[in-house]
Amino acid sequence: MAPLLEPHVLRRLEALAVLVRRAVKGQMGGERRSVSRGRSPEFADFRNYTPGDDYRLIDWNAYARLDRFVLRLFVAEEELPLSIFVDLSGSMDWGRPNKAEVARRMAGAIAYVALASLDRVRLTVFAEGPTSGGAPYRGRHAAQELFARIRSFPAGGPTDYSRLVAPITRQRPGMTVLITDGLGTSPIEPAITALRLARQEGAVLQLLAPQEISLDWTGDARLKDAETGVEREFTATPATQAAYRTALARRTDEIARTARRHGLRFARLTSDQPIEDMVQRTLRQVGLLA
Amino acid sequence: MTFLAPAAAALAITMPVIVALYFLRIRRPTRVVPSLDLWPDQIRDRQANVPWQRLRFSWLLLLQLLVAGVLVAAAVQPALSASTSLAAHTIVILDASASMQARDVQPSRLDEAKREIGPMIDQLGPQDRMTLIAMRSTARIVTSGSGDHDAIHRALNGIAPSNGPADLSAALSLAAGIVRAGEDSRAYIFSDGIVEPLRTSFANGLPFPIEYHRVGVSGENVGLTSLTVRTSAQSRAAYLRVHNFGQQARTVTLEWRSDAGLIDLRSVSLSGGQAQDLALPVPDAANTVTARIDAKDNFGLDDTGTAIARTPRPFRVLLVTPGNVFLEQALRLRTDFQLDVIAPAAYRSATSYAMTVFDRFSPPAMPDAPFVMVDPPAGSALAGGASVGIGRVRATDAGDPLLTNVSLQDVHVAKSQDLRASSFGRALITSVQTPLVLVRDEPYRQVLVGFDIHDSDFPLRIGFPVLVQNLSEWMLPPSVPSRSFHPDEPVTIVPETGATTVTVVRPDGSRRQLATGSIATFADTDLLGVYAVEQTVSGKTDRSWFAVNLFSDATSQLAPVDRLALPPARVFPTAQTSHQGLIQVWPWIALVALVLVLAEWLAFHRGL
Repeated sequence: MAPLLEPHVLRRLEALAVLVRRAVKGQMGGERRSVSRGRSPEFADFRNYTPGDDYRLIDWNAYARLDRFVLRLFVAEEELPLSIFVDLSGSMDWGRPNKAEVARRMAGAIAYVALASLDRVRLTVFAEGPTSGGAPYRGRHAAQELFARIRSFPAGGPTDYSRLVAPITRQRPGMTVLITDGLGTSPIEPAITALRLARQEGAVLQLLAPQEISLDWTGDARLKDAETGVEREFTATPATQAAYRTALARRTDEIARTARRHGLRFARLTSDQPIEDMVQRTLRQVGLLA
Repeated sequence: MTFLAPAAAALAITMPVIVALYFLRIRRPTRVVPSLDLWPDQIRDRQANVPWQRLRFSWLLLLQLLVAGVLVAAAVQPALSASTSLAAHTIVILDASASMQARDVQPSRLDEAKREIGPMIDQLGPQDRMTLIAMRSTARIVTSGSGDHDAIHRALNGIAPSNGPADLSAALSLAAGIVRAGEDSRAYIFSDGIVEPLRTSFANGLPFPIEYHRVGVSGENVGLTSLTVRTSAQSRAAYLRVHNFGQQARTVTLEWRSDAGLIDLRSVSLSGGQAQDLALPVPDAANTVTARIDAKDNFGLDDTGTAIARTPRPFRVLLVTPGNVFLEQALRLRTDFQLDVIAPAAYRSATSYAMTVFDRFSPPAMPDAPFVMVDPPAGSALAGGASVGIGRVRATDAGDPLLTNVSLQDVHVAKSQDLRASSFGRALITSVQTPLVLVRDEPYRQVLVGFDIHDSDFPLRIGFPVLVQNLSEWMLPPSVPSRSFHPDEPVTIVPETGATTVTVVRPDGSRRQLATGSIATFADTDLLGVYAVEQTVSGKTDRSWFAVNLFSDATSQLAPVDRLALPPARVFPTAQTSHQGLIQVWPWIALVALVLVLAEWLAFHRGL
């Protein structure tokens, strides 16, 4: 089986890092500035000693001058908690190239960038409901395990964005990336709103196939919904094709506006874009990677 | 209203079929899409699990039923009754001569005439018949007594213009010949009136009334009307006539070229009605010379003229005479004659001469070749009876081509041998007393003159050299006449002795093989331009040319004639009374169908 990401792609990804706008609070030491004060060479502040504080942090020089216990605080460097939510619903299992496959590669690429920076990565795939991608991954060595995990989830079923709200809000503040096509049986807006409520910095990446952006057929057809299996008869004429394109553009615009309103980054990607182009160009342009 | 094709009403079955198709659900291919939410709710067939569905109103269905209905209505060919003056048998004579190619009416006079004839065909009732005659240099029946509208339309559209004149006499004779006695018939001539004068008198009148429909509006035209090359001992020159037949002054550019290339380019200004003669140089090496004017008028056939510039091969001619300056001078007028004059005593044999003229001398043996014997001595083989006194002379047949341009009105002969008993040939010129000039075709073209030229005032008349010219041309026709011919005019070609093949190459490159054994008449001269005659003699190909040009004042005049002189009608049958014709309306119905189809297409694309 071909690897999820080719070695030369991985080598290039190592030069990137997930870009966070504000300091993060993680559980373990990392390369990120933490909102906690901890041990690191970088001095942050003083505060008065209260019982229970680590007496090793008392600044004895200050005590000599001030005659009271003062703690010397340093900027703690912690890892970034990065969550990746990947839509593997039936609507993603569509198109040439297949959107679900591209979404797996995209999630793998972003995760690898984070792992290479000693960030903590949590993977969640969702369709009708969220499915945990297992324990958080940390360190570059966990990448292959994460890749295998991504590939283990089959695509299919309807998308219910409302069931994403609970797992999103449970997260500690950090970075969340949502990879989806924005098509589902329920609206995506509650999930995006939940990201803000959970103080998530993050991005919504809408992934579409070229065949659904510009239709390559006309005439009579029986349309079958890839998620629900519902069928409907239809005749594609220039007028109905134009109406479809308008509806798709409106849906994309709604997602983009909702994401930006909540301070999230947004990018629309097409599945025929090379993965390197998506990562190196599009995601850097929207400020997700640097 | 009449239906010309009522059986086509069976096509109405298509209408219930269309409705049935709307009852039937369309079998559609299944396409998986990511989400149905984005697809507009403009669906023609709602979900149904049965092959039939409830019929719903649809603009497309309505338009398709309308289209089908209108097409069926057109297919049955409805026709409205119309009172017309068409006879039971309508004869249409369409002028397809050269002048009908004029473009003073667009696209041409011939097309305009066809456009006018079209409605007449459509008005023919079920029992009516039409005969279509194309009038060119000959008349030809294109369709005879047909009632099939489509066939007549096809025949009409197939009539092509010719470059020749219009022979009205032949067309009328043909039309009179196809009308049965007592038949209700009427003839229509669609022409610009530029036709050859009537040759037939039609003394009894025509068996049908006849109407002349003038075609064309303008006579503005500048054209070439003659081009000849004259060769004298000193030089060669071409003489060209350019004629402005219109009323307005015109300036045209004349392009003068030989087969080797351009010789001259000059501007020629002509006032209205003016003709101008131009002398133009002819290079020694030229075989043909061509004049072309950029008249930019409505008629192009007379804008180009071609002449053959190559000097014909000379004939050796022998005149044996004790002295006859009149004969000698008349023969020397022929530039292609190499004339030798000898006294009777010097005569030995004439085998190397193409023609011999014996004046008052008869050789021991007459040559097996063309000859002219003038006043043979008494006792010789061709001598006539005793001399008789003659007064005035006259032509045996005034229309004889050998007497073209020869006037015998003031010609007198003092005396002549009595040739009444001669079996030499037919009499060309005669008198009350005796025939005077006899001619014969076999075994060679030969002439016997019964009187001494000096015993007549004929040599003093202009007709004498003309007669000598006519006779010598008749006796020694050039193998290929190098003069200009009119379109459709037959050309006599005398194959060279020993010629194994004779081929005429027409201006369009097509080739016609002629018989080699005898004098041939070539009649495929409908194209304007240079015709090459290729003769193979002893393995070598000898090439000579003749030209066909319009060169017709009558045609180039171009002004349409308002009133055409036509023979009177012998009968005035019921054609003058009202007659039920038909006006076909199906083309308009078909047009409505076309508009409806476009509307249906538009409705489909609008998603109605």
